[in-house]
Amino acid sequence: MIAGDILTDIFFASIAGMGFGAISNPPRKAFLYIAILAAVGHSMRFCLMNYAHIDIATASFCAALSISLLSIWFGSITHCPMTVLYIPALLPMIPGMYAYHTVLALVKFLQSLQEPALVAKYMQEIFLNGIVTISVVFLLTVGATIPNFIFYKKAYSMTRHRK
Amino acid sequence: MSEEELHKIAGFIETYAVCLLGSGVHTSRVNRNSQRIAESQGVNMSMMTFQRTVVMTVVEAAGTPVATDQSTPTKATITQNATAKAISPTQSTTRTTAEANATASTDTRVINIPTSSVSFALNSDLSALSWRAIDRHLSLDELWEEYNRIIAKPRINNWQVLTLAGLANASFCKLFGGDWISMIIVFIATVSGLFIKQELQKKEVNHLIATLISAFIAASLAAFACYFDTTAEIAMATSILFLIPGVPLINGIIDVVEGYTLIGFSRLVQAFLLIIFIAVGLSAALLLFKHSLL
Repeated sequence: MIAGDILTDIFFASIAGMGFGAISNPPRKAFLYIAILAAVGHSMRFCLMNYAHIDIATASFCAALSISLLSIWFGSITHCPMTVLYIPALLPMIPGMYAYHTVLALVKFLQSLQEPALVAKYMQEIFLNGIVTISVVFLLTVGATIPNFIFYKKAYSMTRHRK
Repeated sequence: MSEEELHKIAGFIETYAVCLLGSGVHTSRVNRNSQRIAESQGVNMSMMTFQRTVVMTVVEAAGTPVATDQSTPTKATITQNATAKAISPTQSTTRTTAEANATASTDTRVINIPTSSVSFALNSDLSALSWRAIDRHLSLDELWEEYNRIIAKPRINNWQVLTLAGLANASFCKLFGGDWISMIIVFIATVSGLFIKQELQKKEVNHLIATLISAFIAASLAAFACYFDTTAEIAMATSILFLIPGVPLINGIIDVVEGYTLIGFSRLVQAFLLIIFIAVGLSAALLLFKHSLL
């Protein structure tokens, strides 16, 4: 059920985007667009990872790039700055599971300092999960920032001519 | 332009820039927006931003412009002013020495950035205000009026925020492969954790401590999932994700990428501090309730 999986992903990603956005008090009219962007980004990453077998960091980069390009268009509709639209949409893509496993491995590591075999195993887990977390967050943001540099005239005057 | 007018304009730009920086806007946007406001009032402005303070110089556009900012006398004023500010906040403006600025009056100030919560609505509305200022030639009084109107807008209803955040975290749990029982547990854990964090912040508890307590409570509540036949591991992992400081993290990297390395790293360090405190709260809950897992 590929279509079903993708639809589930789209649905829950849009709720996640809106909810995490709500904590940061976005303008009311932006909610719909934040939901669309979050859904597009997350489901795109989901497809790239599961069906095209691309790694999580590259997939995140592609998803962030397309979110950002879409937010140029949505920004000129809503007259909101691009960051207002794409930051909440990026939040569901922050790799929480990897971050959690980094912390968990760190706790386990400190609990088993006496056993060299376990120490090596947990050390590896800390590095693996930590590096994935950091590179995904970095690539997400870089991917989202690049269109800002290419379309800077458009990006900088997004809130102009607002009624 | 009289000196008094210049001080008044500087006063507005000061409030405006500090409000933007406090509400989670990346530095280059704050800079551009404030420049635009300055331009609309016929002055030149340059600023230097740090995590907690802004140093700003406003120069009358007709006289010697931005070039004066780099001259040594002005720099000296900045440092003098920093000490003067500590003594009396009202007298924070200084006129540079006559030989340095024979024609143009300048106003240099050091301003503290108050800690406030992230608000994308302010980001959006205040950016639009800067364009209106330049397109419609708003006067300073009109600017203040609009600014106060924008600031006075209420935030989204708190119960709506709590529900939406709870739903968001529950759907996050689903995205990571959790089942329905886990989703309900995560919803309850998120709503309670966020509520407690907001209450602690209202009592002006240090935000790091508030985050720690909130993470501990959310993770402890999620630990109830261990009593059910459910995806307890995923429930615990997702229960604290609403606390991750996504906005400072992303803003920090945007700043670094755009060349504002110093403030970018300050933001990132602040975000990492918060993540460490979340991790401490989570580990405490893990050690207490999930010892079998460790």
